[in-house]
Amino acid sequence: MTRMSTGLKRSLAVAMASVSMFSVTAASAAEILVWCWDPNFNGATMEEAFSRYQAEHPDDTIRVEIFDKAAMEQKLQTQLASGTTEGLPDIVLIEDYRAQKYLLSFPGAFEPLTDQIDYSAFAPYKVEVATVDGQTYSMPFDSGVTGLFYRADKLEEAGYTAADLENITWDELIAIGQDVMEKTGETLLPIDPNASDLFRIMMQSAGTWYFDADGNVTIADNPVFHEVLSTYQRILAGGISKPVSGWTEYTGSFTSGDTLATPTGVWMTATIKANPDQSGQWGVAPVPRMGDVESSVNASNLGGSSWYVLSSAPQKDLAIDFLKSVWGSDVDFYQEILVNQGALGTYMPAREGEAFQASDEFFGGQPVWQNFSNWLAEIPAVNYGIFTEEADSAVVAQIPAITSGGNIDEIVAAIDAQVRQQTQ
Amino acid sequence: MGVCVAQSGLARKEQVSGWLFVMPALVLLGIFMIYPILWSLWMSFQVGRGMSFSFGGFANIIRLTQDPVFLRALTNTLVFLAIQVPIMLVLALLFASALNDSKLWGRSFFRTAIFLPCVTSLVAYSVIFKSMFAGDGIINQVLLGLHIVSEPIAWLADPFWAKFVVVSAITWRWTGYNMIFYLAAMQNIDRSIYEAARIDGVPTWARFWYITVPMLKPVILFTAVISTIGTLQLFDEPNLLTQGGPSDSTLTLSMYIYNLSFRFMPSFGYAATVSYVIVVLVAILSYIQFLVARDRRA
Repeated sequence: MTRMSTGLKRSLAVAMASVSMFSVTAASAAEILVWCWDPNFNGATMEEAFSRYQAEHPDDTIRVEIFDKAAMEQKLQTQLASGTTEGLPDIVLIEDYRAQKYLLSFPGAFEPLTDQIDYSAFAPYKVEVATVDGQTYSMPFDSGVTGLFYRADKLEEAGYTAADLENITWDELIAIGQDVMEKTGETLLPIDPNASDLFRIMMQSAGTWYFDADGNVTIADNPVFHEVLSTYQRILAGGISKPVSGWTEYTGSFTSGDTLATPTGVWMTATIKANPDQSGQWGVAPVPRMGDVESSVNASNLGGSSWYVLSSAPQKDLAIDFLKSVWGSDVDFYQEILVNQGALGTYMPAREGEAFQASDEFFGGQPVWQNFSNWLAEIPAVNYGIFTEEADSAVVAQIPAITSGGNIDEIVAAIDAQVRQQTQ
Repeated sequence: MGVCVAQSGLARKEQVSGWLFVMPALVLLGIFMIYPILWSLWMSFQVGRGMSFSFGGFANIIRLTQDPVFLRALTNTLVFLAIQVPIMLVLALLFASALNDSKLWGRSFFRTAIFLPCVTSLVAYSVIFKSMFAGDGIINQVLLGLHIVSEPIAWLADPFWAKFVVVSAITWRWTGYNMIFYLAAMQNIDRSIYEAARIDGVPTWARFWYITVPMLKPVILFTAVISTIGTLQLFDEPNLLTQGGPSDSTLTLSMYIYNLSFRFMPSFGYAATVSYVIVVLVAILSYIQFLVARDRRA
């Protein structure tokens, strides 16, 4: 019989115990996979959320995969259509405009969260967007409430203060832009001729959309849509914009000072704040309204998304628990992401927090979050329907005709015909 | 009689073993190529959104005729075909003819340099082309610096120039590929024919036009058919450079199929119909090209 020294036996016992403990913890450590598209914005908020969750769950980790937005949406659609679930994430971020398309095209692909989350604490319009047949599928995330972000320092050189930009119409903005161009030689707006952002902002500010609540096409017989196209034509003819191609060129344009302003959603804050040396040089004004349209207000929405859990998620229960405990109840978390990323959450109790009332140094001490919160309350609600992409595509296809001063009635008729044809 | 039976028995055995050898490849081909082709033909008669299909007869074909986006995509694809393929093949032929000269200095360098674009990564070169043709990209800077234009051209934001960028990108990429085919075929042309022509006093351009080109006819036909098929199915360059271009001006048929399946509310049946349009176009154009190139018997 071999005799081992006591010391050796003891160290062997300790070694075996630690190996078994290690394997046990390794076995229970789980990784949540999340897909989203903006490392500065939604990716960063997810990382922040998980760092809070990790305090109580030290063994679990998160992997946030960033894709180009359009590429991610198409990748998700392709994979859901193929029926294979391998490689799909646990949590995916889906923009509100497209939510109904995914939910209706791929029934059963997403996990209903109706019984898991108390939806009365969230803004009703966000809950509605993710509901099909009485079941809600999302953890509502941010609102895309719009504002006109502008370089306060440059506009001041031309003699314009924040008060001059308060509650103006698009025509007034064109006049300001032309004046600034004369005095400083700088272009006001970057406009991507392949993007439909401006149209969406203008339409929703008047409470209208390509489709009505029942999904019927409301383009040709919609006088507001006519005015939207005319306004766009006037903006382009006003000589206050410069063409940019693609997202990178667009964001690069105003962050580098090549252009001075852009009307866009509150989520652009993260991109703007990624240049800390510009602190104090920016301001936010209410988004302009259409002067000739009664129902148009100085508040609109661009984007806004929510987190969805896939039915095939390998870490489904962990993912839902994570979403519930941080996104569904942590008020402090929402203050954090508001100030750092400009993520205006739609969790109602979070709106009482101090960050929502505070002013922001970066925007010259303006109470921007209070402003956004107020505008959020004024956004006219619209039903996006399931054919937003097709309608956008039809409008974008007519942009050269609009730019070259074409007849708006004919253009509206062409868009209407194309949308009807595509949505049959 | 006995010999005949023995021979036919042997022949049958050889036939059987021949088929057995070919069978695995045929089975795989059938499953992964023939079956999907037949399935998509059946799909093209289905209508419906997402995953819910129902038989629609000729509804998709009727929809084709009324679809403005389809007509736009078809026009763009045919424009690319008519402009890009002849330019590329003529360039490839000229390069091959120039580089066939054994006394040219730096021949192998030029051959490698012209062929290298085809082996570069598609995404890498598209990103570089995009940045080159951006508003403040190098092309605009050069043009402004040489005072050829007074303000930067919005290459990717203008419907006409976007097509130009796509055509340049494709030509840059694939000219070398076709040039290699022509070079290889030219090696097989007997030098003595050229010598005889030179002695007879035939000028260089006539040597090229009356000797080189006719002798390369089979290869030219091959590259023409391959390039036609490739351009009709064009997807990569417009997708990466312009995403269908400002307002669908560089939208091709393949991109439209992609949009119908993976971007818009999915209509897989209609997408299958559009893909069959490409098949029909390829068949017609290839047939025409074979017809034009056939040997005419006196």
